Amino acid sequence: MTNTWYLYLFFSAALVFAGLYALLAKRNLIKLFIAIEVIAKGVSLLLLATGFAKDNVLVAQALVVTFIVIEVSLVATALAIIINIYRHTKSLDVRKLAKLKG
Amino acid sequence: MIVQTSLLVGLVLFSVLAILLRDLLRAAVSLAVTSLLLGIIFFRMNASYAGVFEISVVAGLITVLFILTIALTNKGEEVPESKLVNLAFPLFFVAFIIIDALVMKGLLRKIPALPSSPETGAFGDVLWKGRTLDLVGQIAVILAGVFSVLALFRKRDKHD
Repeated sequence: MTNTWYLYLFFSAALVFAGLYALLAKRNLIKLFIAIEVIAKGVSLLLLATGFAKDNVLVAQALVVTFIVIEVSLVATALAIIINIYRHTKSLDVRKLAKLKG
Repeated sequence: MIVQTSLLVGLVLFSVLAILLRDLLRAAVSLAVTSLLLGIIFFRMNASYAGVFEISVVAGLITVLFILTIALTNKGEEVPESKLVNLAFPLFFVAFIIIDALVMKGLLRKIPALPSSPETGAFGDVLWKGRTLDLVGQIAVILAGVFSVLALFRKRDKHD
C-alpha cells in the first residue's frame, strides 16, 4: 500500500509545485486563478489518496466533497471580483493592482 | 497500476498545459480535462461520490464560469507575459521532480503509522452523522458566496 501512496503523493506534490510556480511567475489574473485551481486539484488528490492508503476512503471522500463545495464558492466569488477589476482598470494585469491611487 | 499511473501522468501533463498555454480558452479547457482525469482516478479509488462531484461540479460548472469570465474580459489575452517564465518552467519542474522522487519516500517513512480500522457503513452515514458540522460550514460558505456575488454585481447608485 505504501508504494501506491508514494505514487499519489509524488504526483500531487508535482501538481502543487506547478501551481505555485505559475502563481509566482504569471501576471494575468485568470492565469493566476487557474494556478490556484491546479493547487486545489493536488490537495484533493492528496486527501483522497491518504484516505485510500489508510482504509478510510469514506471520511476522505466526505472531506473532498466539502473541499469541492468550498472551491466552487471561492471560484464564483473570485471570478466576480476579477470581472469587477477588469471593469475598473480595463486590464487583467496584476501589476496594475499595485497602484492604490484610486 | 499501469492505468492509474498513466492517468496520473495525464493529470500532471494537462495541468502543466493549463499553466503554459497562452490562449486562456485553451487553458480553461485543459483544466476541465484535468478535472475529468481526476474524477476517473477518484472512481478507481472506490470514491464514487467524490468522482461524481469532481466531474459534474469542477469539470462542468467551474469550466463554464471560467469561459464566461474569459468572454466578459476579452482583452485578457493582451497582458504581456515574460517569455522567460515559460522557458524556465521545464527546468524548474524537472529539478523538482528529481528532488520529489528522491525525498518523498524518506518523508513517507517518517510519518507515524496511526491506528486505523476499516470503515463500515455507507457514505451517507459518514457524511450526515460523522461530519455534520462540515455540512453546516458548507451551507454557510455557499450563502457567503451567493451574497458576495450579489454584492459585487449590484447596480450602482447614481452617487457612486
